[in-house]
Amino acid sequence: MHVELSNVTKVYEDPPETVTALKDISFNVNEGEFLCIVGPSGCGKSTLLRMIAGLDRPSSGEIRFRGDPLTAPHSKISMVFQTFALLPWRTVIQNVEFGLEIQGRPKMERIEVAMDLLDMVGLRGSENLYPKQLSGGMKQRVGIARALAIDPEVVLMDEAFSAIDEFTAEALRAEVSDIHKKSRKTFLLVTHNLPEAIELADRILVLSARPARVKSIVGIDLDRPRASTDSEFITIHKDIFSLLQAELENSLMRHRLGELQEFKKLRDMEDR
Amino acid sequence: MPFRLFGPRAFHRVHDKTRRRFRPPAWLLSLIAIFAFWESISASGLIATDQLPPLHEVLLTLVQLAVTPFFISHVAQSLANVTTGVSLALVLVLPLALLVGMRSQLDQALTPIIMLVGALPDLAILTFLVTIIGRGNVAAVAISAFSAFFPIYFTIRQGVKEIPADYFHVASVFRAGRAQTFTKMILPSIFPNLMTGLRLSFEFSWNVLLAVEIIASVAGIGTFISTNLGSSTHSLTYGLAAIMTVGIITITMDRAFFERLENRTKRWH
Repeated sequence: MHVELSNVTKVYEDPPETVTALKDISFNVNEGEFLCIVGPSGCGKSTLLRMIAGLDRPSSGEIRFRGDPLTAPHSKISMVFQTFALLPWRTVIQNVEFGLEIQGRPKMERIEVAMDLLDMVGLRGSENLYPKQLSGGMKQRVGIARALAIDPEVVLMDEAFSAIDEFTAEALRAEVSDIHKKSRKTFLLVTHNLPEAIELADRILVLSARPARVKSIVGIDLDRPRASTDSEFITIHKDIFSLLQAELENSLMRHRLGELQEFKKLRDMEDR
Repeated sequence: MPFRLFGPRAFHRVHDKTRRRFRPPAWLLSLIAIFAFWESISASGLIATDQLPPLHEVLLTLVQLAVTPFFISHVAQSLANVTTGVSLALVLVLPLALLVGMRSQLDQALTPIIMLVGALPDLAILTFLVTIIGRGNVAAVAISAFSAFFPIYFTIRQGVKEIPADYFHVASVFRAGRAQTFTKMILPSIFPNLMTGLRLSFEFSWNVLLAVEIIASVAGIGTFISTNLGSSTHSLTYGLAAIMTVGIITITMDRAFFERLENRTKRWH
């Protein structure tokens, strides 16, 4: 088992109130697998990913990577951000080199690795541009290259395609799928875009509304590349969508029951 | 980028093929007009020359002063004082402003107090300092550090607060230590704010310092001005020339140093 979560619970405490964001989450991620995590908004998907990245800690329960407990960022776990999070004072290549630079790798090696990856994501020739000169899609390509530069075993993607226009996102998803196929690295993608999850995932983890629990794990056994017009694709979409819709209604009910405030609070806390 | 004292666009039309005629920048015309007015007033005897010396004399004195070792040493002393003061402030403020920018509880505890202290009049603090430390360069450096403190504090604090949370996440995910997070992430993030802070500090400090030199009679350009603004015509000319020197130094420092540093950050912003 590559990544294992057992009974992971996340409670935010803001006395006198406590809000349970995640409750007893247990699942495994296999080596080389592409796992997508979907769930109603505000359910704590991103928190879950952040905990695997070592940016946040579970209140109880345990996360293991290659059998060892994971409590801090790991050198073999990398991340792609929704906001791209490129450092604006660094050029494209310097951004890709960032992780290697932190590791103290020699300059020549860094450049070699970065150039190869820029080649792969189709940014050769743009290496000396600054992020502000790039389009959203290009920025995320840099983000992906940066994540891959440290040669991770696990790549975490937090809504990685959400801030990009749909046409560009479509192309980028195909490339990520290709990178996954070639590298056999483990990918975890948090998304609220269900077709995106079905297109990419080997398995989809469906979370319930808050406090989030594992509602279902759906294996996607379709040939790649997958077209959203295929009948099987549509069937899977319908199935998972109805699961999510039930959750959505569930969470809407809670709104009506006056938990809106708490909801907002949770979201604010997560933003922090 | 070549160094230009009054902005990059001043003379670009000289090379324009369609306009071979020299077009001076607008500010130069205004300056010439003011100088002509000044010169004509003293030449007409409307104001006595012992109250307003003719401009050409002042300018001549300015050139003479610029090569006088005694005057240069006074200018150097003032610049040394202000530089020491601003550097001292920077060393003290940087860690504090960083901490405050990252910990909102600390910010709530300290910033109101710092605002309160910042609202105290610099020159009143000065007289207080002089009674404690006594006259001399120490008092001058202390007050210039004091007035430099606040602009740096508030600009850096703001800069740190504005760092996106994801930049910190990037630093953590790629396992940057404290030192690396500071040098590779925080410092470049706040660099534009740091420049603005230093620029403001320098301006504040420099003005206050001249007052200090006059009040606390510390060696420096301020003392030079005050001792020369005596009664005789000759001295008034010296004083005015020295004041102009201060103006020229201020604008040169600003353009030559701070503006260039700020321009560097424009490449990425």
